[in-house]
Amino acid sequence: MPPDDLSAETILIVDDEDSVRRTFREWLESADLGCRILAAADAESALLQANQQTIDLAILDWNLGAGSDGLQLLEDLALFNPDVVAIMITGFAHQATPLDAMRMGVRDYLDKNQDLDRATFLRAVRRQLERIRPARRERQLHHGLVAFRSAVDKVLPLVQASAAMTDPVPLPAAVQSLFRFLMRTTGAAAGALLVRGYDPGREPAEVCRVYGADGRPIEGPLAPFARSVAGGAIGLGEPNVMVQPDRAAATGAVELHPFEKGRRSLLAAPLAVAPGLQVVLELFDKQAPSSPLSPVSGERGRGEGDALDPAGFTDADRRLAAAAADFGAEMLRQALAERQTQRVLFDAVEAALGASDSVAQSLRGAAARPDEPPPQAVMERLKEGLGGSADAGVAGGETLRLAEAVRVLALRHGGAAVRHCTEMVESLRRLLDETAGVAEDRP
Amino acid sequence: MNPTPQADLFAEVFSLLTPERLLRDPRADGDGVTVCVVDSGVERRLLEEKFARQGVQIHPIEGGVFTADRPAPLPYDGRQSSPHGTTVADVILTLAPRVRLYSADVFGPVGTCEVEVVIRALRWAIDAWKCKVVNLSLGVPEQRMQQAQRRQQLQRAVEEAYFKDVLVVAAAHNEHPLTRSYPAAFAPQLLSVDKRLFTDPLQFAYEPREQIEFLAHSRGYLGPFAAEPATSWAAPHLAGIAARILSLRPGLKPFEMKTILYWMFQAAKNGGR
Repeated sequence: MPPDDLSAETILIVDDEDSVRRTFREWLESADLGCRILAAADAESALLQANQQTIDLAILDWNLGAGSDGLQLLEDLALFNPDVVAIMITGFAHQATPLDAMRMGVRDYLDKNQDLDRATFLRAVRRQLERIRPARRERQLHHGLVAFRSAVDKVLPLVQASAAMTDPVPLPAAVQSLFRFLMRTTGAAAGALLVRGYDPGREPAEVCRVYGADGRPIEGPLAPFARSVAGGAIGLGEPNVMVQPDRAAATGAVELHPFEKGRRSLLAAPLAVAPGLQVVLELFDKQAPSSPLSPVSGERGRGEGDALDPAGFTDADRRLAAAAADFGAEMLRQALAERQTQRVLFDAVEAALGASDSVAQSLRGAAARPDEPPPQAVMERLKEGLGGSADAGVAGGETLRLAEAVRVLALRHGGAAVRHCTEMVESLRRLLDETAGVAEDRP
Repeated sequence: MNPTPQADLFAEVFSLLTPERLLRDPRADGDGVTVCVVDSGVERRLLEEKFARQGVQIHPIEGGVFTADRPAPLPYDGRQSSPHGTTVADVILTLAPRVRLYSADVFGPVGTCEVEVVIRALRWAIDAWKCKVVNLSLGVPEQRMQQAQRRQQLQRAVEEAYFKDVLVVAAAHNEHPLTRSYPAAFAPQLLSVDKRLFTDPLQFAYEPREQIEFLAHSRGYLGPFAAEPATSWAAPHLAGIAARILSLRPGLKPFEMKTILYWMFQAAKNGGR
């Protein structure tokens, strides 16, 4: 067993007789127990070693000489590791006080004057290791989970920050810009963007949203998509014009949304964004070319100066809408991909936390599976999620490496080291901000 | 020398070959012809009520909803997934009100459709519903059909229809010939249709151009965008015309139908003869 294997149990032999220590060490080494073996001649030396590494099993001489005894040493060792257990080597076992000794962690006695040979010794050691190992792995697992959860808690802000860094133009602003352009060029009086998503695995399966020309959601009841103008536009796959939609609605062939009613003309352009997602851009009521056009923010009021063009939308408007639909589809695809990336990341983190909860719960029962350390599996899930972050400003692998470094730092050196690390990162940020002339964005 | 059966057939058909006589024949109403509309579903009640108001009794519309994950269609509840299919069905029923219509909804509530679903619907229409005419007012632009295997699968299905004497009517892309689309581009085995505005919806033209052979009237009658000229409405016009002819001679094969349509167009050009 490599001496630096942190998962190996540590056995400490404490005996003031050098020949005994050597013999015990030889017996243990020859048995190939997969343990780290340490030896000490007295209590002081034993405690020094316990200060440097966790002692799992102590093989203690009852009478260490110089006035100290093994039981007292065990009590001191327990200060370093409360779960330490011991095998007492004694020449006068009848003097032992079993109850106190058991309470302090003594699990076996070997009488060096009677039955202490290699076989007896190793049998006693193996018996204790069999008890120690599952409990020790369980503890390690638990500590790993605590560290992992702590790391995930630290990763989450990083993920959110990286998502914020790559956040494109906010959707409402993009929709507003698109409509401003279209309404200026076509002379439309108003517009709306209809988004319909269908996912049979969701409840409700169909979700419809409408945004006005100002990019803000339009609330209120909507006509069923299957009977809507937007549904008809999707079927044709290209921009089309309706004159006086109310007439078509009167035949029962279509149901109008409230904002479509009373319109003179309507130009609907479908946007091919993604499977299962139907998006239609609608423009309403083309104005006569001579009518003054003012900057548009939301729907314009139809006042005296806004003469409606009886001819309605033209082929040129249609071509323009087709081009805008292509652009809008690309814009929405990006927004959607960004949201999906973030969702994947958050789902991954959530799944990771859920998985660690589930492992923690299983640890409470006796059926823990120490051979399958969940932190690795959980990290794989997180890695997978981060891997899906194609658009992230910080590559998923980098984020994970940072999180892992923080986790190891926390595990080995505690919270103070993590705080120091955070301060270093902050200092670096300030330095770069100053160098690049970036304004301070928080107190 | 006695005339061959084929000669009998053509002698009989050619004697009727004036567009007026053939298409305006009172028996040419689509009766006995089964037509499938592979599209976005049909709103049954809307069409029943429309034709009832006109005093026309149509057969109950049947059909199914086809999905990518099921070999057999889901039951048709008389609803459309979007208005497109209803406009198409209405065109066919307007021209040939006595056809028996099947709606193969290949979009369903998800609203998108894969080529494999269209193939499944086409085969189902032929084998299960025994349709004689299949209208496809849909297509996949050439750039999205680069995968040779998918193209071949669709072509094979169209060929199967041809060899089973089923007439497939497919709409060209609205930007034809700038954009070609399938299955309309498989013109030899089917009736491929581009759009044109005619004064009479029973008019059509045979002008082969970039793998599309026919042009038919491209305005519909019912639906949000029915008034917009589109190949989607042109295809069912030709399907309706074919259904009218088939109701006079149900056993016609696709190539015979194409020949008749060709001669009808030539006759109309030559002043009715």
